[in-house]
Amino acid sequence: MNRPHKPAVFRLDDPGIVVTPSEAPRRIAAPSPHPPASLTRPSPASGGGLARGAGDGGAAAAPATETERLPLVPPQRRRLPWAGMFWVSAAGLLLLATGLGIANLVEDLLNRAAWLGGIGAALAAVAAVALLAIVTREALSLLRLATIDTLRQRAAAILVSDDRAAGRALGRDLIALTRRMPRLARARARLESHLGDIIDGRDLIRLSERELMAPIDAEARRLVAAAAKRVSVVTALSPRAAVDMLFVLLTALGLVRRLALLYGGRPGTLGLIKVMRHAVSHIALTGGMAASDSLIQQMIGHGVAAKLSARLGEGVLNGLLTARLGLAAIEATRPLPFTALRQPALSDIAGSLLRGSASRGAEEALQDQRSP
Amino acid sequence: MALTLSDLIEQARLAARSVMEYGEGLINPTVRLGITGLSRAGKTVFITALVHGLVRSGRFPVFEALSEGRIARARLAPQPDDAVPRFDYESHVQALVADRVWPESTRQISELRLVIEYQSRSGAMRELTLDMVDYPGEWLLDLPLLSKSFETWSAETLELSRRAPRAQLAKPWLAHLATLDVTGQAEEGAAIDAARLFTEYLAACRQERYGMTMLPPGRFLMPGDLAGSPALTFAPLDVAPNDAPPAGSLWAMMRRRYEAYKDFVVRPFFRDHFARLDRQIVLIDALAAFNAGPEAVSELQDTFRSLLDCFEAGRRNFLSALLRPRADRILFAATKADHLHHTSHDRLEAILRRMVERAIARAYVAGADVDVIALAAVRATREAQVRRGGAALPCIVGVPMPDGDSAGGNRNGPDGKMLDRMTEVAVFPGELPSDPEALFAPGAAPFRGLAAARAEEADFRFVAFRPPPLETTGDGVPALPHIRLDRALQFLIGDRLT
Repeated sequence: MNRPHKPAVFRLDDPGIVVTPSEAPRRIAAPSPHPPASLTRPSPASGGGLARGAGDGGAAAAPATETERLPLVPPQRRRLPWAGMFWVSAAGLLLLATGLGIANLVEDLLNRAAWLGGIGAALAAVAAVALLAIVTREALSLLRLATIDTLRQRAAAILVSDDRAAGRALGRDLIALTRRMPRLARARARLESHLGDIIDGRDLIRLSERELMAPIDAEARRLVAAAAKRVSVVTALSPRAAVDMLFVLLTALGLVRRLALLYGGRPGTLGLIKVMRHAVSHIALTGGMAASDSLIQQMIGHGVAAKLSARLGEGVLNGLLTARLGLAAIEATRPLPFTALRQPALSDIAGSLLRGSASRGAEEALQDQRSP
Repeated sequence: MALTLSDLIEQARLAARSVMEYGEGLINPTVRLGITGLSRAGKTVFITALVHGLVRSGRFPVFEALSEGRIARARLAPQPDDAVPRFDYESHVQALVADRVWPESTRQISELRLVIEYQSRSGAMRELTLDMVDYPGEWLLDLPLLSKSFETWSAETLELSRRAPRAQLAKPWLAHLATLDVTGQAEEGAAIDAARLFTEYLAACRQERYGMTMLPPGRFLMPGDLAGSPALTFAPLDVAPNDAPPAGSLWAMMRRRYEAYKDFVVRPFFRDHFARLDRQIVLIDALAAFNAGPEAVSELQDTFRSLLDCFEAGRRNFLSALLRPRADRILFAATKADHLHHTSHDRLEAILRRMVERAIARAYVAGADVDVIALAAVRATREAQVRRGGAALPCIVGVPMPDGDSAGGNRNGPDGKMLDRMTEVAVFPGELPSDPEALFAPGAAPFRGLAAARAEEADFRFVAFRPPPLETTGDGVPALPHIRLDRALQFLIGDRLT
């Protein structure tokens, strides 16, 4: 065996050496291969992480490859370049046409009166700047969502590999992500102080999750429950189907947006569509697996309520669907997979939905509006 | 192994006792934490640091019950056995914290009970009692003797004594053994001489330089209150494994004393403290073996192989919980992980995993949870990069122990100057091999240790450091720094505190 360095003892005041507190150049000591984890039974947590990582991989891998080509081109499929080219060129033509129309308009206005032309040109400039701003914001928000997706994938990988350096890096990124959340100041400081300790990758992920995600999770659960309750009440009371459909749609969009905001994303329109797609595809992916408990609960809940009144049953069903969407949105927007903390299940929210009285629902809805 | 009458009685006793304790456990949940380790592996420090951390709310971020704030308090409680001395927690803490010295090697068995008051996740206030036993690590070496006859043990001991580097140390004893007539009349003088020479041989093997660990019977090295009694006055003889001794012979006397040793010393010790464990932590000081040499490393592996076969592990069910409790979680910990840089911890864990792979596989098949970590119950060093010439070495910085009994005699600094009692030095202890298989390949000499080479030529030099100055937690309570003690706690009792 080739042993490059013999053991050595140094005095700290030896002028021939330079001592730096161990932090920065830790890669010098060749990162050793990880011990084979074949014999240890993967703990339930890591097993769950693995399964979830695999499940997420399906949902999140495709968006991740898309986001590499960001910013601002609408999502494309690699399989159909022709369709993509058509849409891009059509959009380009449309843009050109609009530009030409505006140019012509300004020219016409100028021909008619100089001051009209001035106003037209100014409006056009403002519109152009605003458009640019919107596009930039959308692009940034998409980037941020992509960052959160990557964080989640990295965390899932670390839960399997137990890599210390990667865990530490992820912890730092999480702290950076949650920098703007005032209620996490203390948790962040605590986590930051632990990052310097010798803690293994898997433990660091669990620690970060407990420190940073616990308060956010509670808030998210509250948001979902409140939205579900509102939907069920409005559906039960609304006079027309069209009204409550519209209301459900708006509530769902609002809920997903607020959840994404809560977990550190800042979704614009495109981002919202993306998160929504994630959530819906997540429901589609896990629907089969979750059928055992939550779908049956849904049916029973619906059945019992429908016995009392058809409208009430519909309300409960809509509420449960909203809750499911909310839970899926939590999974799609949370920067860490659930390992140390319990994943909120439909039963957590359905319980309060079924037994919660209308008055309490209204009360919470009020509270919700007061503290957005 | 044939089941003898005494074995049957033993089993019945154990079962009766565990039925009693099962009833007690329903009212008052108790975890018997088995702390298993050879001498100098750090059992006393582990218990002290664990209790100190829980009582003073140490910095245990990975230990979820504590870091979530669900542990209201932990307090010491009167221990269950009145006949066993109490673990002297206060003076050990005093030694660590105020005097900055490690506790002296344990000479007596002692016991400690800790009651943890916590709130479960569902909101109920509960208590969990944690029972721990500290004992001289030497005594643990006796457990494999329980299944061995005098003749088997003699043959094995003799075989072992002819291997390097023991052969040299065993010379006086072997010379005396050659003069003995085993079938002749029993003589107390001969027995006393044999026992004395045998004990000296064992003590010589234990020196830090050789680092041998397979040295039963343990009471020869740490007699406790039995020094000089006939049960401790015997030695292995050169006898055929399957013969019966003639009546009145030296052989018959030695054999009788060996059996008495097993019956009166080993079996009660095992029955009282190890037969009924709920959780087990196995502390292994692999670094001392690395100091000594490849022979010590492979002997450490053999020692733990035979030792861990004595413990039962496996998933609990109602019947086993009632009649024969077994550890359903086992943690293998390479202690003194603060003696090397954290970038090497993975390698240390891999080596440890390889060392105890048979026990891991057995526990795994039986359904127990197993984990392997590098641990420092009290972290005595900090880390630094030392750049000399072009190379940067990952080093550890600490105050070396002044007595110089550690490898290489670090009383002197690298330049030969006498070091002050509290001078810090940076140590690069050597690089652990990345492939544990290479260490245990038969006939390989993967590195040089103190047993075979001069101190300057050894490939490893893990230095003993003084206990650290105290750091304070966020609440201003002083806490002992550690490495992965919280992870160990989480693994061992975390699930009982949910």
